[in-house]
Amino acid sequence: MSGRRVLVVAITVAALLAGVGASLALGTIDVPLREVIDSLLGRAEEGPAKQIILQLRLPRTVDAILVGAALGVAGALLQGALGNPLASPDVIGVTAGSGFGAILILLAFPGSIALLPVGALVFGLTAATLVFVVAWIGPDGGGAGRLILAGIAIAALFAAGTTGLMTAYPDRVQSAVFFLAGGLVSDGWDEMKVVWPYFAVGFVLAVSLIRPLDRLALGDDVAASLGTRPRLIRLGAGGAAALLAAASAAIAGLLGFLGLVVPHVIRMAGGTASHGFVVPVSAIGGAALLLAGDTLARTVKPPLELPVGPFMVVIGVPMFLWLLRKAV
Amino acid sequence: MSRAATRAACLAFVLLAAALAAPATADAPKRIVALTPFSANTLAALGVKPIAIGQTLGGDANFAPSLRRVRTLALAHPNGPNMEQLASLRPGLVLSSPTWTRGNRTMRNLDMRVEVPEPLTVLDMYERIEDIAAMVDRERGGRRLVARIKREISRATRALKSRPRVMLVLGVGRTPYVFLPNSWGGYIMQLAGARLVDANAESRSGFARISDEAIVDADPDVIIGVPHARAEDLDGIRDYMRSNEIWKLTQAGQENRIYVWGDDALLQANLDVGSTISRVRTRFLKNR
Amino acid sequence: MLEAADVRVTIGGTPILHGADITVEQGELVAVVGPNGAGKSTLARAAAGIQKLTGGEVRWDGQDVRKLRGRALARLRAFVPQRPRVPAGLTVRDAVRIGRSAHVGPLQRPTAADRDAAERAIERAGVERFADRMLTTLSGGELQRVQIAVGLAQEAPVLMADEPTSHLDLGATVSVARLLRRLADDGLGVFLVVHDLALAAAVADRVVVMSEGRTVASGPAESVLDSERLAEVWDVDASVEAGSQGQTALRVSWLGDKDTTGGSS
Repeated sequence: MSGRRVLVVAITVAALLAGVGASLALGTIDVPLREVIDSLLGRAEEGPAKQIILQLRLPRTVDAILVGAALGVAGALLQGALGNPLASPDVIGVTAGSGFGAILILLAFPGSIALLPVGALVFGLTAATLVFVVAWIGPDGGGAGRLILAGIAIAALFAAGTTGLMTAYPDRVQSAVFFLAGGLVSDGWDEMKVVWPYFAVGFVLAVSLIRPLDRLALGDDVAASLGTRPRLIRLGAGGAAALLAAASAAIAGLLGFLGLVVPHVIRMAGGTASHGFVVPVSAIGGAALLLAGDTLARTVKPPLELPVGPFMVVIGVPMFLWLLRKAV
Repeated sequence: MSRAATRAACLAFVLLAAALAAPATADAPKRIVALTPFSANTLAALGVKPIAIGQTLGGDANFAPSLRRVRTLALAHPNGPNMEQLASLRPGLVLSSPTWTRGNRTMRNLDMRVEVPEPLTVLDMYERIEDIAAMVDRERGGRRLVARIKREISRATRALKSRPRVMLVLGVGRTPYVFLPNSWGGYIMQLAGARLVDANAESRSGFARISDEAIVDADPDVIIGVPHARAEDLDGIRDYMRSNEIWKLTQAGQENRIYVWGDDALLQANLDVGSTISRVRTRFLKNR
Repeated sequence: MLEAADVRVTIGGTPILHGADITVEQGELVAVVGPNGAGKSTLARAAAGIQKLTGGEVRWDGQDVRKLRGRALARLRAFVPQRPRVPAGLTVRDAVRIGRSAHVGPLQRPTAADRDAAERAIERAGVERFADRMLTTLSGGELQRVQIAVGLAQEAPVLMADEPTSHLDLGATVSVARLLRRLADDGLGVFLVVHDLALAAAVADRVVVMSEGRTVASGPAESVLDSERLAEVWDVDASVEAGSQGQTALRVSWLGDKDTTGGSS
């Protein structure tokens, strides 16, 4: 690996570690790092600090790492498979579908709140499936352009459904707003327990797609010449991205920006589009960005927890613009 | 009996009573957090002081004077109170609201005792008061409180001179969400003698959106808006409501009986039902 | 190496090939020529196994192309498309290394042998000078040679190129032509779809003429590209002449006194 790439990896890993430390140590009460480590190793004494770290901050940190990594990887997969720099998990309809599923539970069945991640997952994957079916049938199916158009249409459908729900239950809309704005919640391991298999399958699929996506980068014909089936790879990438994005929405609501911007930042910083670099480093970078944003969102105006989106944008956009100047 | 013996007997009686009472009060939780105005004020009325009370962002609930010095926790979606803040208070009992479903689950995961004694309408308010009283071991105080509230309501609903048609509207904006009889405010309005304009709408949430045509058809005598607003903004909101072209066509519009209600008394459960009814009747319904 | 017989292909309900035959052996350069719409690219893609056959047979080293999957086929033939995609963020070396995929198992990492093979391909194609440059900074001719290098990295006995020179200038065309001839001389089988008849005559060992979805002639350039054939297939008054030192020329009666109401090639 070239020196430049090594540097980028080192910086992102350092950012991730710093993010983990901050996420565990900072909050309404700031816990010194030594105590944090003691709690993690089971050496600390019982008390609210230990409870806060192990049952509130640790699950939240793990959520942030997995969701940030998942969205970064999903964006990288889709940008590679569709050959379009504007591709992101929103494009394949998952975000809108997950939003509808979660809002359905939040507004229409609030007693079954435990089903929130299930709703987000089921409808997110349904939306993605609809997008793929619409994009594939008929001649010239499976092309990138068809996929993007189908994604726009299905997303509009589910967004309309979400709006309809909010109109039908106006007094509960407040609880939906937080989900739509996107953000992590300190509510323990409950949701991750439901959703982790989808992350696992998504990540494994993503790793197996790294080399095929490199081949796809040279064009469908060259990829076919090298023994890859372009449509299958696109389908696989879309499927992996859908799993990762739906699972992420189940945990953290509708978080945009990350999936679109992080792979670009990684590509520009590392100076390469090789998927063996972009996919894993987007995972680390996405996790670091979400951790940083979430920690800020929690600590800027305590005890309020602000939505994490604006903070990720504040951190990510200047970096993106600076790199863009040099790239252009 | 000699004076010494009397004193001894009194002392023995007091000690015995204390001994009998002690195990009971030892069960009552000591560190209580009340996240709703209803539970906070009920505790205050029972003579129990919570270690913290909850206030929603932008909310304007009335709390009992004895709670003025009590620490306030900000409540926001999705969890309600900040979980870290709550955990560091080590509460023995949390009285929460059904709004914070996610937060309640998290609190239970943190091994907190969470109860949700929040009434939906005046009808189940009495049971909820007694529930809270039982939790803090003040059953007698609870019964007295219930009796007092019933008396207040009875006084406030005496001699209903008229039963005007009333449209009670939530929020501000172009389309009205009306309070239905199964909402807190809607039920109070009916106790005050109003006939609620609801265009036969039904909704589990207690609110429904009705069309402008339905409003003109129902032709209310009085329109009362309940915006979630600060005191400074109320005049502006009332003027806006009075300029509504559709509402001007109704009886309420023509007789200039369009009003604004400022605080949360009609929006969420509280103990001031009697005084709320009196205020409504005097200022708006004019049926006292 | 490649044996295609009576190949039929229908795309989107439209029959494109109505029975085409072609063979390519190692060490020979076969040029496929014909007017637009004759089905040259379709034949190349069908032979490469990229386009589904509606009828007929294609065999590589005796094996039915339909039974050969992915990597096995990639080790038998390398296909260089007409206008390949030029991705951003990849260097020449990156691209050529991707060409090694057929030799690297899914769970394996590329070995030193693979990196050496990529370097060999880079040298054979003559692109060492800009091996570290980004693909997006290359000219048309340089890119085409890189595409050939990617194909060479597959180390397959046959290289198939679909009109690699159609969009290049004269100098670049000559450079690619020389490369392809040299590869054939070194033992590679080359299947070259090409428009330029003079070029075909100069570099090919054998020329195959296609017209309206069929192969109508196959043989050495002098015998296949005679004036009768040119008039019959392209509807022009022209001839191909071979000069000294391997030069060829296409002589065309551009403005002609022949009745040209019958359309053109």
